Amino acid sequence: MTTQVTEFVQKVVDAMGLKLTATAEELPDGLRVHLEGEDGVVLTRRQGEALQALQHIASSAFRSDGPDRRRLVIDCENFRKDKDAELRQMALYMAGKAKSSGASQEMGPLNPYERRIVHLAVSEVAGVSSESVGDAFEKTVIISVG
Amino acid sequence: MADHSALVAVVARALADEPDAVRVTVGERRGATHYELHVAPRDLGRVIGRQGRTAAALRLLLSAAAEAAGGKAQLDIRDSDGRS
Repeated sequence: MTTQVTEFVQKVVDAMGLKLTATAEELPDGLRVHLEGEDGVVLTRRQGEALQALQHIASSAFRSDGPDRRRLVIDCENFRKDKDAELRQMALYMAGKAKSSGASQEMGPLNPYERRIVHLAVSEVAGVSSESVGDAFEKTVIISVG
Repeated sequence: MADHSALVAVVARALADEPDAVRVTVGERRGATHYELHVAPRDLGRVIGRQGRTAAALRLLLSAAAEAAGGKAQLDIRDSDGRS
């Protein structure tokens, strides 16, 4: 599947007329496709909306409805990696703040990909927990003591 | 005018259960490149996605590609019977 997904992503950016090259990296629970090249900004501008769109389409095309469903992440010029690291730092900071003050902290609205990063970071901090609230696609994450 | 019909076709074929039924036509409308995507009736749901999210994502990629080439793009999605 790795080769198929990477080839698909390459075909899409080629068809968009972008000078970008896709390479695959295996993750413990899925696959990360890296895009590098001079046209990276076309995908990363406006908070990476085109990158997000490409990831949605690729996930949708290669969906596996099973228990062993693998995650698919598409990154461009380390845009996600940097943003993810920032979000993780923020989540750890908020978790610390909740713990020291006793008051619940809010983050968001965040999309599912971002919420996962926050929940994982909070789970590393003892004595605090996190939950998503809201009915929309993007939800707020509440970090509280207990 | 840049023609990105290959983009529409590549994405639609990857999503469709009947990739052979995918057809893309291209024209010009009010200064924008106008694409019409036809898919098999049973693939319309897959291509449009829950709450139209997949169609929105495809339109966004198409606009990004058109913008990079200095143009504008529009996309209509229909099934092969002409329903949209």
